[in-house]
Amino acid sequence: MRGWDLEVTAANRPAPGYAEISCKAPQAVAALPGQFFMLRAGEHPDTYLPRAFSWYRQEAPDRLSFLFRVQGPGTRHLGGLRAGDHLYALGPLGHGFTLPERPVRAALLGGGVGVPPLWGLARNLLAGGSEVLALIGARSGAHLVGAEEIAALGAEVRLATDDGSAGRKGLLTDLLEGEQVDALYACGPEPMLRRVQEISLGAGLPAELALEAPMACGYGVCMGCVVERTRPQDELGDYGRYARVCREGPVFRAEEVRF
Amino acid sequence: MDLRVAFAGLTLKNPLLTASGTFGYGREAAEIYDLGILGGVMVKGVSREPWPGNPPARVARAPGGMLNAIGLQNPGLKHFVEVDLPFLRRYQTAVVVNVVGHDQQGFVDVVQGVTGQEGVAAIELNISCPNVADGLLFSQDPASARRLVQAARAATGLPLIVKISPNVTDPVALGQACKEAGADALSAINTLLGMAIDTARRRPVLGNRTGGLSGPAVKPIGLRIVYDLAAQVGLPVIGMGGIETGLDALEYIMAGARAVAVGTAVFRDPYAPPRIVRELGEELQSHGFENATQAWAAANPAAREAAS
Repeated sequence: MRGWDLEVTAANRPAPGYAEISCKAPQAVAALPGQFFMLRAGEHPDTYLPRAFSWYRQEAPDRLSFLFRVQGPGTRHLGGLRAGDHLYALGPLGHGFTLPERPVRAALLGGGVGVPPLWGLARNLLAGGSEVLALIGARSGAHLVGAEEIAALGAEVRLATDDGSAGRKGLLTDLLEGEQVDALYACGPEPMLRRVQEISLGAGLPAELALEAPMACGYGVCMGCVVERTRPQDELGDYGRYARVCREGPVFRAEEVRF
Repeated sequence: MDLRVAFAGLTLKNPLLTASGTFGYGREAAEIYDLGILGGVMVKGVSREPWPGNPPARVARAPGGMLNAIGLQNPGLKHFVEVDLPFLRRYQTAVVVNVVGHDQQGFVDVVQGVTGQEGVAAIELNISCPNVADGLLFSQDPASARRLVQAARAATGLPLIVKISPNVTDPVALGQACKEAGADALSAINTLLGMAIDTARRRPVLGNRTGGLSGPAVKPIGLRIVYDLAAQVGLPVIGMGGIETGLDALEYIMAGARAVAVGTAVFRDPYAPPRIVRELGEELQSHGFENATQAWAAANPAAREAAS
């Protein structure tokens, strides 16, 4: 990890309530899929703490973008950045996704704001010879993000929406029915991650979940972003009940966490 | 600029420490700079047994700062002595061990357990954590604070610092009781008890319901309490609460702090401590001081009298 002063090159609204901020980033940033950055820009009285976002796209070696939902004062401030503005980024942080040793057929599940870390994962899986089935969900067709971008990498993309306005109406995980896959990777709202966890444990299918948690520092010192472990680390007794999402995660194996 | 300060049996290369609970045991910051640049590290609270901490959510947004309700998650005394302390010994910085406990014996056992360990410069008794059920027990009643400090005093010859709560009517009376019981110094302030509400879920944001407010928003309160403690108790004070810059640190020093600690600022900017050390030197110079000691209590004549 280190701090980076990134220049914003473009700001877009890919869907209602979403912002994509693209930056000029030195190649030394070298972030892995699933890793994240703590972002802040300028001064804002109601956004003292930086905000944690996984990186989204790397359209060129010296570019990096962040895609997030604009929902509070902090994300409104960051979402309002324009080309030429500067963004302070600490990172890359945390442990990203584990790539398989041999090519596999992998299902990537991204629900709503959980799509961003899957772009880099799909790219790396495809580069390693794996087949990628990307299942992307949202409230409605208008709220879908990332589907075209991930399809453009060469992944097979299927959609699910709550209202059926795009793809299948219903749960994202329903799209897994009848699919033969070797591994699951998921990021999205907690109810979706719980279902992926159930499927993984039920079918003995390896799954990795990228978690999100309210975070203050992003690099392990505040102990704010914890998730409960299914198996506490014995030698540390009670201390091991919780793991830091920022440091031990944000990507965990499905069997490691208790929702 | 000579930044060295000496008080209460402690000699620090500069007046800047990192505040307990915002710096872990130094491992994460050591990845990005040499901890030897710091006057000292006040480690995250150490309890006799490992503590799990509070259920999430543990942090929440607040204007000009944040709320936390971590609940003193820590790996316990044995792990601290065997793993964390040896790591910190590799750096030329003063290690202040923040001690927590559910009861008096819990505190005393940790005080005893770290006394005599190589590389411990001082002990800070944390009688002011608002985020555990019994955290404020010893702060809300000067008599029980007095008993605890007496017991800790009897258990160690190390410099003994007591961390004062702002969540009491009379911090000075608490500081006075600690002084009479044998404390060598005070640190102030801990966080202020607060709350945030999640309107969509119709419940408090934090898993613990309440949490401690910290960050720039609390600086005026920290300055007022440090000023009063320095003037009216007469013990050396380590000042903290909302320090973001060298100028903030100088304000605390002028208010009567012998040293200062940076806390929440490291969440926003992990490079804040080395930056503040540098800025403090520049501020002392631009304010016409020749060294850090000269600036001490420059705005608080009563503190100078109380100490003489």
